Amino acid sequence: MRELTVRDMLYETPGKETRKKTAVATVVSLLVIMVFLCYIVKLFSESGQLDSRYWFFFTKLTTWKFLFEGILGTLEASLLAGTSALAIGFVFMCMRICVYKPLNYIGIALVEFTRGVPTLLFIYFFFLDVPKMGINLPTVWRISLPVAISASGMVSEVLRSGVNAVPKGQREAALSIGMREINVFLKIIFPQAVRYIIPALVSDLVIVVKDTTFSYILSFPDLMQNAKVLISNYDALLSVYLVAGVIYILINYFLNRISVSLAKRSGMTPVVGR
Amino acid sequence: MERNKDVLDKSLEIPVVELRHVEKYYGEMHALKDINLSVERGEVVVLIGPSGSGKSTLCRTINRLETIKSGEIRIEGKKLPEGGKELAELRTQIGMVFQSFNLFAHRTILDNVMMGPIDVLKRPEEEVKKEALELLKRVGVDSQADKFPAKLSGGQQQRAAIARSLAMHPKVMLFDEPTSALDPEMIQEVLDVMTELAHEGMTMIVVTHEMNFARRVADRVVFMADGSIIEEAAPDEFFTNPKSERAREFLDSINRH
Repeated sequence: MRELTVRDMLYETPGKETRKKTAVATVVSLLVIMVFLCYIVKLFSESGQLDSRYWFFFTKLTTWKFLFEGILGTLEASLLAGTSALAIGFVFMCMRICVYKPLNYIGIALVEFTRGVPTLLFIYFFFLDVPKMGINLPTVWRISLPVAISASGMVSEVLRSGVNAVPKGQREAALSIGMREINVFLKIIFPQAVRYIIPALVSDLVIVVKDTTFSYILSFPDLMQNAKVLISNYDALLSVYLVAGVIYILINYFLNRISVSLAKRSGMTPVVGR
Repeated sequence: MERNKDVLDKSLEIPVVELRHVEKYYGEMHALKDINLSVERGEVVVLIGPSGSGKSTLCRTINRLETIKSGEIRIEGKKLPEGGKELAELRTQIGMVFQSFNLFAHRTILDNVMMGPIDVLKRPEEEVKKEALELLKRVGVDSQADKFPAKLSGGQQQRAAIARSLAMHPKVMLFDEPTSALDPEMIQEVLDVMTELAHEGMTMIVVTHEMNFARRVADRVVFMADGSIIEEAAPDEFFTNPKSERAREFLDSINRH
C-alpha cells in the first residue's frame, strides 16, 4: 500500500489536460529560474565577486577546518538550546494543561512573555545583566539559554496542540487498565502527542539553530562567528556568507530528514509532513 | 440466576456488579434515572435500547469513566472509589472494550497487551510476554503481534483490544458497542471471540445492537429507554414476548426490514 501524502489529500489525480498544463508550467518555470540564476552570476562577475581572491582560500584545508570548528560550535549551542527549549517548553505546557487553575494563568503568562520578547533582548540580558548579578555562565550557555527561553513558548504551544490532538479514547483505554493519570500522560498521551507534532517541532528547532547565529555578539565560535573571522581575514564578505548560508541550509535540511524518518519509524502518520 | 443457585460458595452470592439508585445528569439532561442492576458471576447481560437511551453511559459508569450524581455502584460488594489509587486498582479488575478499539497507537499489538500487566500490575516481563502471545493466539491475531494498530483491520484491532483487557484477568468485562465501528464482514469474528468468552464463564456486560448475539449468548437482556431500565428478561422471553409497549416498539422498528 502506497503511503498517502499531503498532496494526495489536497488534490485529485490530474487528468490529461492538467498533466499537459503542469508540464508546460514546469518547463517555463525552470527556464525562468535558470535565467534568474544566470543573471545573478552575471551580476557577481561584473562586480568582481567571482575573482579568485574571494574564493582561493576555500582550497585551503585550514579554512575548512576553521569552518568545521564553527559548525561544531553551532551544533553544540543548538543541541543545548534545543534540548533546553524542549525541557522548558514541556514545563510551560504542563502548567497550561494542569487542572490547578492558578498554574494555568502563570503558564499562559510565561508562554506569552517568552513568545513576545525578541531573542536578542534575552541574549543581551544574559550577556550584560546576568554576569552583574554574580552569575557566571559558560559562554555556550550565554547563547543557548536565551535562545532556548525565546523558543520555549512556541515549543510549549506546539506540544500542547499535540496533546490535544490525541484522541480521548486513548486516555480512557489507559485508565480502564488501571493506569494512574500521571502514567497515562507520560506513557500514552505524551509519546503520541510528540509523534503528531514532530514536523512542527522541527520547525521550532530550525528557528533555534538560526537564532544561535547571535553567537557573534558574545564571540562564541559558532559557524557565524567563524565566518565573520574569515571575512575580516580575507576581506571576502559575499563568498564566505554564501558558503556559510549553504552549510546552514544543509544542517536544517538534515534536521528535517531526521524528523521525517523518526515520524515514519514511529508507525504513526504525522499530521503534516512529506 | 438459576444456574448458580446450586453453588454454595458464599462469595458467589455477592453480585460482581451492583448498581443501586444510580442517577446521572449531563447538565439539564437526565441521562440515567434510578438505575438498579445486579450482575452475578458468570452472567452475560446485554444492554439494548434506542440510541440516546443511556446504555453506553450506564456501561461507562461501572468503571467510573462517567461519574454519577447519586446512588451506589459496587464491584464484588466493594463500593467504587471516587479516585486515586483505589479506583485505579479496582479498574484493573474491570476490563473494558470500546467502540473505537482505542489500542495505544504508538505501541505494537504485543506491547498493547503487555503494557497493563507490566506497567500496572508490575509482573515480570517474560511471563507476561508468554501469556500475551497466548492471548493473541486465542483471539486469532498472533501473526500481527509486532505490527502497529493502524496496520490492522478493524476486526483484528478489536480482537487485540479484547486480548489487552483479558491480560489483566478482569472479574468482569464491559463491552461498549464493540462492533458498531466495524465493517459488516468483521462483526462476526469479534462476536465469535465474545461468544467463546461467554461460554468460558466470563462475566460480561455488553452494550450492542446485535440482536442475534443477544438472543444466542445473553443470560439476560436489559432494555433501556430515555435513561431508565424499562424491562429485564431472559432473551427468549424478551424477543418473543416483550412486556412493555416501549420494548415492543423498539423491536418492531428494528425488525421492519
